[in-house]
Amino acid sequence: MKPFRFGLFVPGESPLHRLDPRVKILSVVVLGVLTFQASAEAAILITLLLAGLTGLSRLRPRHLLDALRPLMVFAALLFLIHLFFTDGEAPVSLSAGPFRITREGLRQGGIVVWQFFALVSMGVLLTMTTGPSDLVAALEKILSPLKILRVPTQDLAVMVSLALRFLPTFLEEMEKLKTARLARGADWRRGGAVHRVKTAASLVVPLLLGAARRADDLAEAMEARGYARGPRTGLRELRMAGSDYAALAFVAGFSGLVLVSGLL
Amino acid sequence: MIVLDGVSFRYGEDGPDVLRGVDLRLREGEYVALAGHNGCGKSTLLKHLNALLVPTEGTVTVDGLDTRDSSLQRGIRRAVGMVFQNPDHQIVGMTVEEDVAFGPGNLALPPREVRECVREALARVGLEGYESRAPHTLSGGEKRLVSIAGVLAMKPRFIALDEPTAYLDPVSRRRVLDLIVGLHRQGMGILHVTHSIGNIVDADRLVVMERGSIALDDRPEAACAALASGRFPGLEAPPVATLMAELKSLGWGVNPNVLSIREACREIDACLARRPGERP
Repeated sequence: MKPFRFGLFVPGESPLHRLDPRVKILSVVVLGVLTFQASAEAAILITLLLAGLTGLSRLRPRHLLDALRPLMVFAALLFLIHLFFTDGEAPVSLSAGPFRITREGLRQGGIVVWQFFALVSMGVLLTMTTGPSDLVAALEKILSPLKILRVPTQDLAVMVSLALRFLPTFLEEMEKLKTARLARGADWRRGGAVHRVKTAASLVVPLLLGAARRADDLAEAMEARGYARGPRTGLRELRMAGSDYAALAFVAGFSGLVLVSGLL
Repeated sequence: MIVLDGVSFRYGEDGPDVLRGVDLRLREGEYVALAGHNGCGKSTLLKHLNALLVPTEGTVTVDGLDTRDSSLQRGIRRAVGMVFQNPDHQIVGMTVEEDVAFGPGNLALPPREVRECVREALARVGLEGYESRAPHTLSGGEKRLVSIAGVLAMKPRFIALDEPTAYLDPVSRRRVLDLIVGLHRQGMGILHVTHSIGNIVDADRLVVMERGSIALDDRPEAACAALASGRFPGLEAPPVATLMAELKSLGWGVNPNVLSIREACREIDACLARRPGERP
């Protein structure tokens, strides 16, 4: 089975790897919001920042491309939708049926695709430089003020962690089911779209039944190992270092710069 | 000591009795093997040991702590570790070390102690260097060892294992069995549920369950001799025990209560020495 690689953590010792995951999540949120507000100048600044962060992460470009490649089709679709369905002045007399290419469509399509890839790159940089457990621990810390409203933040974090833990298992199980069906004569590659959807749907019931059974066993195993409401600890404690505060200050300064560039 | 006193259990109010008046003692440092047909209540009994299930009738106590008292369950679960049959349904961490840290984390130990517990547990099962591995990249035997390490990290005094060698290749099976024997030698109380009686030659006692009750509780040699005599149809005695029972029934003056090949050879040799004319 081809391994599931999208945005998977790549262990490393880069400055980005060492950064507190809370700082990274917060930075992604802030930069994500800026991406939607960005002017042309700001877009250049954000793109430069992303390139710099990629270099700082010491990730191989291949890893990033592997993560982005599956989304190319979606990006192309986004571009085409904006290209054909945005009203405006036509730069060329190219129209076929209801479709009409406009100058605004080209610009809007370009912006949306840039925003899409910028956001995905931020997410990928976050998940590729942060271990899943650190990510979950940071999420739990960030959500912890909600405890006042009796939101079970710890349970939510465990749920996220379990979902991440069982994703590869779920995919493996799907692959096994497909192979088992293939061995009994089912052919996934033949037939039209309807046939393919029907065959794929036939996997849903056994997959869900398996997941439900596993969930029961897992709950029992977790209980047996002392999981209950109450204080929990883990392997590491998140502690902010000087470099984390420096990173936060940088993000604040950069956000100011982006906002100012938009006003000018 | 774990004491089961007249334990009966049924799932739901109108369900049939899965356990019927079970009396069992598991002393500190004792290795007890539990065998029986599918559905005879072995796994249900196991779940009573660390309060995952509580008896419908009777009592289960762990060092005098009644499992029905929910305020005592955290302590009981720390004292009695439970290893389930399918490690894939038991491993909760995204990496080996995170999974092993799950139990100590639930005990709210400081992170430094959690790391120490993880390091020790992985060393005990021989999985040093596996800390960052994702569970789905491990072999069946390695997953089994991770699930045992996850329990050991809580430093229990008893460990209950539900068919820990099921679906393993001979090398992994040997590794898991050696680990269990090693834990027993280090003084841990063990309850080992198994279908393969040949796996438990090192146990102190073999308990056989039938239809929710304990049908036999004896030293493994004597219990295996009883199995070899066909008293429990469908439960296979180890080949050595079957051979000795067969020789005995043919009139050979051998002791049928042996489980190791070496001991069996010695018995046969002694018997042949007494009958020199029959030596091949």
